[in-house]
Amino acid sequence: MGDALRFEWVRLRTLRSTYWLIGSALVLNVAIALLVASLAADPTVDVVAAAVTGGGANAPVPMAVVLLAVVGVFASGHEYRYGTIQPTLTTVPLRGLLFAAKVLVVGLTALVVTVVSVSLNVAATMPFWADTPSLTDVTVIGYVLLAVLWAVVGVALGQLLRGVPGALVVLLVTPMIVEQLVFRLSYVPALDWLHPAVRFLPFTAGLQLVSAAGEASGGLASEVGLFGRWGSATVFAVFVAAVLAAAVTLFRRRDA
Amino acid sequence: MILATHLGKRYGAKVAVDDLSFEVRPGMVTGFLGPNGAGKSTTMRLMLDLDRGAGETLFDGRRFGTLRHPMREIGAVLEARAFHPTRTARNHLRMLAAGSGIPVSRVDEVLEFVGIADVARRKPKGFSLGMAQRLGLAQALLGDPGTLILDEPANGLDPHGIHWLRDVLRALAAEGRTVFVSSHLLSEMELMADELVVVGRGRMIYQGKVDGFVREFTRSTVLVRSPQASALADALRRLDGVSVEPTEAGGLRIAGADAVAIGDVAFDNGVRLHELTTTTASLEAAFMTATGDASEYVAVAHG
Repeated sequence: MGDALRFEWVRLRTLRSTYWLIGSALVLNVAIALLVASLAADPTVDVVAAAVTGGGANAPVPMAVVLLAVVGVFASGHEYRYGTIQPTLTTVPLRGLLFAAKVLVVGLTALVVTVVSVSLNVAATMPFWADTPSLTDVTVIGYVLLAVLWAVVGVALGQLLRGVPGALVVLLVTPMIVEQLVFRLSYVPALDWLHPAVRFLPFTAGLQLVSAAGEASGGLASEVGLFGRWGSATVFAVFVAAVLAAAVTLFRRRDA
Repeated sequence: MILATHLGKRYGAKVAVDDLSFEVRPGMVTGFLGPNGAGKSTTMRLMLDLDRGAGETLFDGRRFGTLRHPMREIGAVLEARAFHPTRTARNHLRMLAAGSGIPVSRVDEVLEFVGIADVARRKPKGFSLGMAQRLGLAQALLGDPGTLILDEPANGLDPHGIHWLRDVLRALAAEGRTVFVSSHLLSEMELMADELVVVGRGRMIYQGKVDGFVREFTRSTVLVRSPQASALADALRRLDGVSVEPTEAGGLRIAGADAVAIGDVAFDNGVRLHELTTTTASLEAAFMTATGDASEYVAVAHG
């Protein structure tokens, strides 16, 4: 495992896009924090959460989380995009081990980057706000967890679809278009049978992790019957685990 | 020593590799020869556990997947451009070294050895095919392996580069390493290989020495010129297994009989000969004969 982890760590560090994506995530979040903090002198709990977590549950998906997921997609998708899967597998031939190393390295990177990012965001609010936002708030913990899960599902999708473009499409179109559409359609009276399904939309459920009130999508959680923070987190985590399992199973079975 | 037994791979109904068994011995360069589409790359991918198929390949008695640090035992390059376009050549090798417990100093060593040390810190997207091949060879040599498996390593090299590659591979083999190199060009194998494994349409055609391949698949022909060509042709056609083709210059090309037999037939029939020349087919011709009906894509002349 040590060799596979060292391989993945050098792979990640010798890719310019890693620095661009992580740098953009950090800068963007600090910009959001500065903006929110400078505009709201007396912040509510929602506003504090939005400043610290790069927009929180208000955006369709927190931007930094998407950028970290792209780091994940590149970890596996690049291997096929550039044919490096051959030298990679002739260096680390145990596919399950290689995939585990990718997931671990990307997941840990996402964890560290998000923690650093949140700290920077808190620092950015300090000149404006009297009270320093807490780093141990449950929303912050949920946000870090969300970022790790997105990064990991990025690795899994890149591996499952064996490439970058397909994984990116799934990663962006599913939460922002497909799930939004199902969510809105469930309000059409003729389609109200969709209501029970809405709580199982994986990315919508995942977003509950960063909801300051424990519910996302404009406080409609009780109306559409979403699970609470940790119930929804479980839905998303089960989804991520399923994609991981499919990815590693097919990776071991198929031709490289 | 590589021992491949009953390798097989099919894509749906199409058989790409059909029950191939062969061995590659250390201390010499073994050429893996066959026309494009004969299944050479698929065979190499099967050997390295990259593709899932039938059969088993043992490297000094062990399967590829059971090796702790495969790079330190088997150096393999299957594609010329298997690197990220913006990761420098040096970083590409550093990454592979990190996964194999190989020190970074070895990276600079192999880059120096293959002659691309001056571009080691440049992005490889601008590399010519020849430079990419050299980076590939550096990758294969990174772990100082006892076995090399290279798919078309001479492709894209200029004549100078091909001679350099030949010298490198021969030197590596002379150190007791096992070297298995594929090519679709017999001229390259003539330069590099001691032994051949020849395949066509996924099937074994020949395994053994290069000159043995020529002997087995070459039919020597004899060119004859005579003022009484038609009388001689009639006399020769009466012999078993002899074919006679008139040439454009008015001579006869005879297959299935050697110069001695033809001279005797001419003497017995009172035919005067002006020329009697034995032509031995080149390695190139032997290759065409051996793989002719096993070639995947045969050009058909119309009209």
